[in-house]
Amino acid sequence: MQDKIEFLKKKSREIRLRVLDTISEALKGHIGGTYSCVDILVALYYGNILCFRSKDPKWQRRDRFIIGKGHACLAFYHIWIDLGFLDVSKIKDYGKNGSILGGQLHISTAGAEYNSGSLGHAVGIGAGMSLAAKMDKKDYKVFFLIGDGECAEGSIWESVMFAAKHKLNNLIGIVDRNRLSVTDVIEKDDGSGSLEGKFKACGWKVININGHSFGEILSAFRNLDRLRQPLMIVADTVKGKGVSFMENGTKWHHGIPTKEEFELARGELERQL
Amino acid sequence: MSFAGVDIRDAFFKEVYNIAMQDKNVVFITADTDSFVLHDFKRDLPRQFINASVAEQNMINVATGLALSGKKVFILALIPFVILRCFEHIKVNICSMNLPITIIGLGAGFASGIDGPTHHAIDDIAIMRVLPEITILNPSDSMLSANCARIAYQANGPVYVRLDKGKFPELYESSYDFSAGFKIIKPLREVNIISTGFMTKEALRLIGKLKEKSLDAGLIDLYRIKPLNSLPLLKHIANSKLLVTIEENSIIGGIGTIVSELLTDNRKSIALKRIALKDKQYFNYGTREWLIDNCGMDINSLVKDILTYLKITEN
Repeated sequence: MQDKIEFLKKKSREIRLRVLDTISEALKGHIGGTYSCVDILVALYYGNILCFRSKDPKWQRRDRFIIGKGHACLAFYHIWIDLGFLDVSKIKDYGKNGSILGGQLHISTAGAEYNSGSLGHAVGIGAGMSLAAKMDKKDYKVFFLIGDGECAEGSIWESVMFAAKHKLNNLIGIVDRNRLSVTDVIEKDDGSGSLEGKFKACGWKVININGHSFGEILSAFRNLDRLRQPLMIVADTVKGKGVSFMENGTKWHHGIPTKEEFELARGELERQL
Repeated sequence: MSFAGVDIRDAFFKEVYNIAMQDKNVVFITADTDSFVLHDFKRDLPRQFINASVAEQNMINVATGLALSGKKVFILALIPFVILRCFEHIKVNICSMNLPITIIGLGAGFASGIDGPTHHAIDDIAIMRVLPEITILNPSDSMLSANCARIAYQANGPVYVRLDKGKFPELYESSYDFSAGFKIIKPLREVNIISTGFMTKEALRLIGKLKEKSLDAGLIDLYRIKPLNSLPLLKHIANSKLLVTIEENSIIGGIGTIVSELLTDNRKSIALKRIALKDKQYFNYGTREWLIDNCGMDINSLVKDILTYLKITEN
């Protein structure tokens, strides 16, 4: 187990470094919200949680992974390249005119399950896929990742209620709760109750974890076959995680580091390897 | 099969029922919107029927997930709630991924009369026709309505069907080639009317009145609003002296706009009188007939309008 966790930690740092390199070349990207969820994504893809075939990304029996916060796409591109879904040469085109690799995920990219970019759609699309699996008696699961800022979208709650009503126990959500939206801090107590309380009240099983602890992430996804209702994992994360001066600041939602900041960030990440 | 006396909604839903009986991959979702024949669907095909509650955005997203998993999906709600409220969901999810989802919008035009402007559908064509992938169908009788269900099922991409309510005079026979997108209901003359949906029935009355004034007008029922079957339509109307479009839609973006674009893009210089609803919100409550009359679209006004316009054209 310890070896596995060390492997995942190393993989996370590698992915963070590659994301940084791509942003430093393209001068485009959402580094803060990407770094907050990298550990979760690495656990899903490399920790034997998601079921997939690298050589056949559209394999019928694969687990579906719906990405609400598609602006974290750079982490996905690099994971998919590493896994062999995507050719490494493609990343050179990221953000360039006419490229298919842009600031959101396009369905033509192996690994992407829908055209991301608009918040609030992922839960419902995931619910539809879960329902299809049940109708067809297929055993794949449907995962989705959304942000805590995104949870202000009303359509999310329509879908949350729908999934519980239809007992979609093959639907597993993760909220990347970094407590920062584009412009503001998302307060722990904003007067409307906690996210955990809201999901529970809507009939979901809820687990709260530290989204940067591989031990906690891996254990949250255990025993998924025994679920009786949809599961929401509320993962507490840090926006910009991994680079000290990027952590917990709205500046790094889509801020692009200066040359000096790149060097500092790269140095920090390399020292962690 | 005859559709005489069959409600235009029931004709459509009965055909979807027949299709779903044959194809277990067809799923029907309603946003708590009812219709008589749907009771049979729910009873006989419960595994293919979902009530998504009064949550139209989620209905579209669930339909998206189902369609991405290989299902053919029909979704149903009143037009303002499934189209206007959910436009971005339709654009991004259904259309940008070109999914085989049919949006059935109930209450075309002023069909929901007394329920007021929140329920009226006079702007949906203008909005939906900017989506490149969408097919827009607007049936004017029950035979056509049933065939629209079949066309939607056979389409590989998104379809929007505007459904009216009630019984309509029979205009189509089962042998008609429904891929045409329009039908010449009355032989074309110098003055020709193009109408769609509910207003085709009104246009027939109008033609009767015009005849009393010694004006013989032709009539085209345009039921596939997008993609327009442009060239054949253009060929038919090319020799008109005056074209009149009649619709229960905003003057902006409906079939009047579509015909004007067709003429302009093809350098056809034909006088066109667009009869439609003014560019304003209609906040009066009333029956459909009252609303239409109140908008200046009562038959007598239309006869006067057309004769006046024709005189100007002739001069």
